[in-house]
Amino acid sequence: MYSEYWNPKNETLPREELRNLQLYKLRAFCEWAYANSPFHRRRFTAAGFRPEQLKTLDDLRRIPFMTREEWMDSQLEKPLFGDLVAADPNHAIRYHLTSGTSGRTPIRVLDGLKDWEWSAELWCYGLWGFGVRPEDVMYFAFGYGSFIGFWGAHYGCEKLGALVIPGGAQTTQGRVEQIVEMGATTVCSTPTYALRLWQQAAEMGIDLAKQSKVNKVILSGEPTGSIPAAKRQLEQAWGAKCGDTAGMTETGSIVIFECSHQPGGTHIIEDHYIEEVINPETGEPVPYGEPGERVCTAFGRGFIPLIRYRSKDMVVRVPHDTCDCGRTGDIYDGGIRGRWDDMKLIRGTNVYARAVEAIVREYDAIAEFQIYIWRKDHVRDEITVRVEIKPGREEEWPELQKKLGTRLASAHEGLHFNIERVDYGTLARFELKAKRVVDDRPKAEYGS
Amino acid sequence: MMEKDLLNRPMTEDEREIHAIYLALKKLAARDDLPPCVARNVRKALACLWQVTNDLDLQFEQLYHLGV
Repeated sequence: MYSEYWNPKNETLPREELRNLQLYKLRAFCEWAYANSPFHRRRFTAAGFRPEQLKTLDDLRRIPFMTREEWMDSQLEKPLFGDLVAADPNHAIRYHLTSGTSGRTPIRVLDGLKDWEWSAELWCYGLWGFGVRPEDVMYFAFGYGSFIGFWGAHYGCEKLGALVIPGGAQTTQGRVEQIVEMGATTVCSTPTYALRLWQQAAEMGIDLAKQSKVNKVILSGEPTGSIPAAKRQLEQAWGAKCGDTAGMTETGSIVIFECSHQPGGTHIIEDHYIEEVINPETGEPVPYGEPGERVCTAFGRGFIPLIRYRSKDMVVRVPHDTCDCGRTGDIYDGGIRGRWDDMKLIRGTNVYARAVEAIVREYDAIAEFQIYIWRKDHVRDEITVRVEIKPGREEEWPELQKKLGTRLASAHEGLHFNIERVDYGTLARFELKAKRVVDDRPKAEYGS
Repeated sequence: MMEKDLLNRPMTEDEREIHAIYLALKKLAARDDLPPCVARNVRKALACLWQVTNDLDLQFEQLYHLGV
């Protein structure tokens, strides 16, 4: 009989003791960073902070925030890795970088032997928590490149004793065939690509819900994994439970995971991280239940210490007992709800891609979509949602067009959304992070 | 030999045993006279034992000076 928890001792630790543990680690980690990372020593000194000032966990707020911009500046000033690195680079065994869609340069990360093992360890918390066991056959629908993606999950699955099938460098059709042939019980994929796999299977005449053994889909890489309508659609398509996880290249592993009780959110792994939620404008903490930006301190990666890092992820934190699984790690209700910097302003109304997706996914007949933002007659900003209808569901289009337009408008202060149908298969499909927003408005240009 | 964990709770017999293995691996990793098959596998094992002892709140330290 297996334990329900990967680490029963710490996953059920009373919160008072959890805070004491975090304080112990924070102090030791800041001492390490101050002594070994010029980046942190410089910033600590400028803020008048010394690690010995950490007497209680509330003293955390004495530490200056760390931003991606500062990290990028450091890398540009001292290529390739900047002066954040706190250990001899000769001891690194792993290199990864961010997917590089925003910012002047990708963030480059190095891991030592124990850091890389820690990445797998944290994935074990999440995989085990969602029900992965040594008997499982794990399929990784993932390209195995320099982007960190599911690398940690791959090694985590090996560690917990499951059979790992690396599905890199092949077509979507080839992956579908392998999932069925090998009797995969669990698929690891981005939400977008999980949907793509299902569509491909349908085109091949394969009903994955009936003809595969998949009973769990582990999602990561996009906020979609916790959007109820999107999750419902994926769970129906695969005939499997879908569990959300989230991490970032900067942390080296997952920070949060959905447990098998599926509470509508994701537990924070609090014995390995301190997660704060702040008002992004003021930097002040926000209470449970209110949206804010998550700020992360990751204890497992001493090579490139991440301390109070502004993630720009939008979250709503709720107490751990919102879930009945017994874990004492708090929960991000609805997972990662989007990014503070992906808001689009359309004629005075704030539009978030995730909010649009949450509504679009309520319509099961939609196979794929794109949010297209453009400027009409050089003056008026317009937003168009382009949709593909699933084959065989075309007769639903006229009604769907009306309903979707009304739903989107009512959720956005009456803003008019153009709803357009495009031919099935014409919109881009994605394996990693989906890029469904195209902002075609002219950029401001200055000078001659 | 350590008797309490980082939260000042008494260590169990299992925890004492695991911690002793961790310390033995650290000692081996500090040596520079071992053949590669020993030196590197000891480091790999130490990286794993670091996870166990860290998960159980028995230590929280960095090991880069040992190449781990």
